[in-house]
Amino acid sequence: MSSFKRKTPGKQATQLPGTRPCPGSISTTITSTGIPSLDDLLGGGIPLSCSLLVNAPDPHSSYGELVQKLFIAQGLACGQDVLVIDPTPAELVKTCMWMPGSSNVVASGDPDEEKDEEIAKDQDQKIKIAWRYEQMKQFKTTVASPSTPSMDDYCRVFDLTSRIPESVVEKAIQSQQLILYDVQPSLEVPSASGTLIRIEDLLIKRTTASVPLRICIPSLGSPLWGELSSKDILHFLFSLRSILRRHANICASLSLPSHWSAENAGGQGWVQKLGWFSDALITLSAFTANPSLSTLFPSHHGLVQIHSLPAPHTLLSPSDRFSTLRGLSASTPSSGSGENNLAFKCTRKRLVFETLHLDLEGGVSERRTTPSNTDFETNNPGLNKKAAASVEIEIEEIMPTGSVDMSNEPKPSPPKTTMEKSKGKKKKAVAFHTDRPDVYDF
Amino acid sequence: MFPPLNLPDGVLALITDELPSPADFVLHQSIISNFKLPAKDSKRKAVILSVSESWTRWQAIAAKSNVNLNQLKDSGSLHLIDVVPSLGPSEGSDAFRALFDKITSIFDATESPSAPTLVILDDITALEWIGHSTLALSRFCRALRALCLKKNATLLIRHHLITPEEPDALFRLLYQMCSYHVDVRPLASGRSGAVSGEVALHAGPSLPPTTSVKLMPRSTALQYRLTESGVVFFERGSSRGVL
Repeated sequence: MSSFKRKTPGKQATQLPGTRPCPGSISTTITSTGIPSLDDLLGGGIPLSCSLLVNAPDPHSSYGELVQKLFIAQGLACGQDVLVIDPTPAELVKTCMWMPGSSNVVASGDPDEEKDEEIAKDQDQKIKIAWRYEQMKQFKTTVASPSTPSMDDYCRVFDLTSRIPESVVEKAIQSQQLILYDVQPSLEVPSASGTLIRIEDLLIKRTTASVPLRICIPSLGSPLWGELSSKDILHFLFSLRSILRRHANICASLSLPSHWSAENAGGQGWVQKLGWFSDALITLSAFTANPSLSTLFPSHHGLVQIHSLPAPHTLLSPSDRFSTLRGLSASTPSSGSGENNLAFKCTRKRLVFETLHLDLEGGVSERRTTPSNTDFETNNPGLNKKAAASVEIEIEEIMPTGSVDMSNEPKPSPPKTTMEKSKGKKKKAVAFHTDRPDVYDF
Repeated sequence: MFPPLNLPDGVLALITDELPSPADFVLHQSIISNFKLPAKDSKRKAVILSVSESWTRWQAIAAKSNVNLNQLKDSGSLHLIDVVPSLGPSEGSDAFRALFDKITSIFDATESPSAPTLVILDDITALEWIGHSTLALSRFCRALRALCLKKNATLLIRHHLITPEEPDALFRLLYQMCSYHVDVRPLASGRSGAVSGEVALHAGPSLPPTTSVKLMPRSTALQYRLTESGVVFFERGSSRGVL
């Protein structure tokens, strides 16, 4: 008998629903936000006992709230307890999204769009730019959605066009899986401190401490919370964080309304203060207020800025090691270089975080990886069509060997026999044209 | 303290950091090196005044360097005080009275008063942001410094700079007290996988004239990279990304 023995893994700790151990440190348990690409940015997901704060400074959109809704939906879908703290929590939960196919609300979107996307994707794969790049993987700007069944429970795939069925919400409320707490402003105590007391109460009374609890606060400090000062908000965040630290199975996700998300909304260095008081702080600055940005990046809806990242048991945040999108990990070819620029886009069905790249000429052009949904050329008549570059593909005719003719005169077609021989060897040639003169032409 | 800073015992070091480059690694490395250094005659001690860092994090990071903080806590070598719950109910300077008395009693209770002690206040700025006045905080720090000087203890205070160009009032007050200023800054070029930030070491106004510590001005700041189990320091321009 060999003296070497296979090390059998010890008794596995019973895993909590919807969680898994963090790949870097076993003591950290992470749970999904409901958005695979956001999970990647956070290093796999939100660690339990940590908080995620989403800043959305743009007043004309509500991407912060969208992240929160996905957070709630993911919690309900994977069987965790969810506590929603909002002035109107019931309305908010009703408008959450759900898994495709299980909804009773029929999506009103046209199926053509999807078909187009698929066709375009096929074409994308057929294009070969040059033989030397054949071995290269396709250029990717985001991480894939989970496809393996083992990942299914950890991060469900939600469809923004389908609504959460009312029966699911009712059942969750009855079984205490979903707890709604409506914030009411009062004259005596600021609503923030009242809320903190309520959370503490609830946590003491909680009987199912083994099930992870998600605390979701979609609009901390909105006008319906009553008059809150910047100090109230900071104190709330600080106290919430110390509550989270005391309970191992809770995580929280918060969003600030636009007027509290601006750079200096609560005095100088406001965003930094928020960053120090939350484990992860992410700013989603949408382009709606700035039309020039949306023309510059036609296929994105806003920029993503990461201020701080959770590291509950390590010096280095797990995100630095495992995030594909941020590109700091040692496994990426560009390790040692800077962090990737990040942006987000919201398609009809999903919210996706991806890497942001400037185009070949550093400006407006077509997207090369996946088709853009926004056809800005037709939408913006003011924009010169010449500004857009085009890629033309044609099949290169095989020249008869031995004779190289540089003239452009039309040549008589080569003998038929040679054509038939080399039929299988047709090469694709690609030319890149811009209609306007080259930058370096003087 | 741990190399390359090598601060002597019995000093007050002010540690400043910014959001992209948190200086918590300095605090964690100090506590690890404090318990790893061979003490000459008696066992070393430490007091952590914890505001932001959680006990689990202190434990988990020290455990990676084979320092069992739990054991040290049980044996009485390490004391952890959660600052915010320890503060008194009253406003102003009186709020810190209870906390200060607690720290004094820890010092009084030690059998060997000459034992080198490390006192860490992990986040003074958070106290200011949640509503404690600058005056109360600076009085508390002054009292703490006096106590540490008397007991020959090292005091580390961490302060977050949010506007590095124009230092805030609390920074100016703390700076006047400190003997060393450990300046942890992010790279101007942004976050990178190979370099997490840089550390400079400046002399503070309360530095005794004879010192053997090698100061590091910003022009020759050491760069560092956080790793799994600790931190790696290297000279500028010699990181993995460059070589």
